[in-house]
Amino acid sequence: MEGCPISRETCPKLLDLIPQERKWYHDKEKNNSDQEKKLELRLAPPGGDEEDLSAMKKKKNLETRNNIKKEAEDKPIFNLSGNHFSPSNKTTYAPPHISHKRTAPGPVVGWPPVRSFRKNLASSSSSKLGNDQINKSGEGEKQVEPKREGMFVKINMDSVPIGRKVDLNAYSTYEQLSLAVDKLFRGLLAAQRDTSGGEGEEQPIIGLLNGKGEFTLTYEDNEGDKMLVGDVPWQMFVSSVKRLRVIKSSEISSALKCKLLCSYGNMFYSHN
Amino acid sequence: MPEDDEDQSPPSDLRSQPPCSPNKSRNCISSSSSQTFPDHVLENVLENVLQFLDSRCDRNAASLVCKLWWKVEGLTRSEVFIGNCYALSPARLTQRFKRVRSLLLKGKPRFADFNLMPPDWGANFAPWVSTMAKAYPWLEKVDLKRMFVTDDDLALLAESFPGFKELVLVCCEGFGTSGIAVVANKCRKLKVLDLIESEVTDDEVDWVSCFPEDVTCLESLAFDCVEAPINFKALEGLVGRSPSLRKLRLNRFVSLEELRRLLLLGAPQLTSLGTGSFSRGDQSDEQGPPDYAAAFRACKSVVCLSGFRELMPEYLPAILPVCANLTSLNFSYANISPDMFKPIIHSCHKLQIFWALDSICDEGLQAVAATCKELRELRIFPFDPREDSEGPVSELGLQAISEGCRKLESLLYFCQRMTNAALIAMSHNCPELTVFRLCIMGRHRPDHVTGKAMDEGFGAIVKNCKKLTRLAVSGLLTDQAFRYMGEYGKLIRTLSVAFAGDSDMALRHVLEGCPRLQKLEIRDSPFGDVALRSGMHRYYNMRFVWMSACSLSMGCCKDVARAMPNLVVEVIGSDDDDENREFVDTLYMYRSLDGPRKDAPQFVTIL
Repeated sequence: MEGCPISRETCPKLLDLIPQERKWYHDKEKNNSDQEKKLELRLAPPGGDEEDLSAMKKKKNLETRNNIKKEAEDKPIFNLSGNHFSPSNKTTYAPPHISHKRTAPGPVVGWPPVRSFRKNLASSSSSKLGNDQINKSGEGEKQVEPKREGMFVKINMDSVPIGRKVDLNAYSTYEQLSLAVDKLFRGLLAAQRDTSGGEGEEQPIIGLLNGKGEFTLTYEDNEGDKMLVGDVPWQMFVSSVKRLRVIKSSEISSALKCKLLCSYGNMFYSHN
Repeated sequence: MPEDDEDQSPPSDLRSQPPCSPNKSRNCISSSSSQTFPDHVLENVLENVLQFLDSRCDRNAASLVCKLWWKVEGLTRSEVFIGNCYALSPARLTQRFKRVRSLLLKGKPRFADFNLMPPDWGANFAPWVSTMAKAYPWLEKVDLKRMFVTDDDLALLAESFPGFKELVLVCCEGFGTSGIAVVANKCRKLKVLDLIESEVTDDEVDWVSCFPEDVTCLESLAFDCVEAPINFKALEGLVGRSPSLRKLRLNRFVSLEELRRLLLLGAPQLTSLGTGSFSRGDQSDEQGPPDYAAAFRACKSVVCLSGFRELMPEYLPAILPVCANLTSLNFSYANISPDMFKPIIHSCHKLQIFWALDSICDEGLQAVAATCKELRELRIFPFDPREDSEGPVSELGLQAISEGCRKLESLLYFCQRMTNAALIAMSHNCPELTVFRLCIMGRHRPDHVTGKAMDEGFGAIVKNCKKLTRLAVSGLLTDQAFRYMGEYGKLIRTLSVAFAGDSDMALRHVLEGCPRLQKLEIRDSPFGDVALRSGMHRYYNMRFVWMSACSLSMGCCKDVARAMPNLVVEVIGSDDDDENREFVDTLYMYRSLDGPRKDAPQFVTIL
């Protein structure tokens, strides 16, 4: 699974659009005592400051590391502070980024400092208190992620008032999910667009994962962050997704779209 | 002063020659024609005496007396400890020490555990095993921590050392079940095979069946970290023909029923048991639920209990028969509620080591405090390790522990909220503390009652716990906390800092203060060039310094590298390493007797 987008020269780095981010930190250092009070814990827009500036190119040794979720997650692209979107962060490592800002929430690589095999306890349903034990026979079964009965999550689409529910356990790849979304919403979308009573032609909903379509598929994860679908291995996605949302691609800035298009080939990860 | 954890001479003596010249020593008769005879006698005498020296510290001291002592000590040292595999080359090891039977080797720095270091960074076991294969055919024991070990390395090990007895791999990776199979098969004298917190790939090899058919010498077999199913029948057979087996730690692919069968086989001799999944398969109960407690009743010698990887809580009471004997209990994979937990802990009067998840809550910790008066080590891990998760444990639990467990020596505590008052109380109540690691999971979080920084709490710890050697800090900390550390942390050897401090002064306090500092790991803190330069008089005397996401410039790192030729200064960056980049991503530096390593990957720049 390759990390970085290759054609960096053709796509402007979104960071170039954000002027001199680091200067913030220097100012803060000078005015420490004033900032002290301001820097107390408060609810602030996700700062995205700890975001790694680039993803590492990695060899494929990540299959056994699918426990690691938090570090590999992308920053939300709907950041109020308008920070960049960093694609294809499937790797477990991300170069550290200086964070002097004290109020920035959001996942950070390697924090809290808990080793990866201790991290999946919360999502593994077999560790629920006294109920719903997943029975595993001792031999012959190698399961890293527990099976779930039917994992129905809500899915909403922009400009469609009615939401649907989709069973994620019915699929094992992003492509399948994308097709399912098309099936679920094609009719509804056509009905919505049919304003003047004319023939509502049903257009297939495509390009949900590569930024090319009119719509793009996103989700909200278990930390409440809005994420782009398709970055992490399927199972990792299933274990952290809470709901789905199909948004208009035009909502994402053109620079992001460019990055999406460039990294599509690398980004798409099918879990077999 | 010689290092007490390196087998090499202190940095002032980085030459490959031993320290004293014979002329200066009273023990060596020099420039006389009959010098060979007395030397040999002396050498023999020394050898016979020095072989009784076990402690590394003593041996290091002895080796500095004179050239002869250096030589004889090198001949008689059988157990070698190398705290940083890149501090020297394998060739140097084999040149100085001729009769090594046991090697303890450590590789990557600890922050690599948390994905702060790219994979393929190094710490390869390969050059070590190939060099030792020729030099030490009598090698018996290898203990590796955070090393990259391949199946080929394991195969070479198994073939090269016919008397091999103990293999311990802690936090290692790079190998799989096929490598384990080779070791199991070829090391006929194997007593210890301990795989601890290592990443073992599943090559779908039935390694358990690879042990020799006849009676084995196995004393300890730990494979709880192996994420692969095993052949249970073969395991049963193995346990049956291992009369010396004392420690057995099963992985989560061994069910409760299978555990019961194993215990009926070999329970009375076992002193340490890892229970595997502790959950049942889909079997129907023909004659009612099986009596697991009976199996545990047979465990008359078990003092150390772990496992519970997929605990079915209704079966937990089965362990009650062994609780009274337990000195060590590891519940850190079991999501146990306080109500489930209290009846168990109530019987564990002798407990000295206790690891658990924070799901036992403050209530559970209070129960521990009430019962476990002999507690020496406590580790509380987060069930849900996120910054904003529910925090079931807090300062209340810590306070209770400090009041109930006065003999506490080592603490690792993850929580979401803490107060200075609790830390101050602990500093007074637990004077035996040597290891204090507190992780307040929300970054920069202050005392949640007073809103102040956590300076006074940590200050009290370093001030009152006079035996403190290891400290990890968290929460909102200003430079004042570091001033305390520098002033009072006289014995601190290992310091971990994350998201703390205000300015360079903080790090300067530490570098100019703590005289015994060996291992310094810092991340995401505002320390820059001034601070780095302030420690230059120290770095040769330290094992390593790690600083990531700080404010260090490349220029300053280059200056340090230039000024200190025996220091290897690694800058670990990202792919698009920009020369114009203001700050260095990660700095990892350590002393080395043999210069920079040759196996550094592309993303590592050695200055």
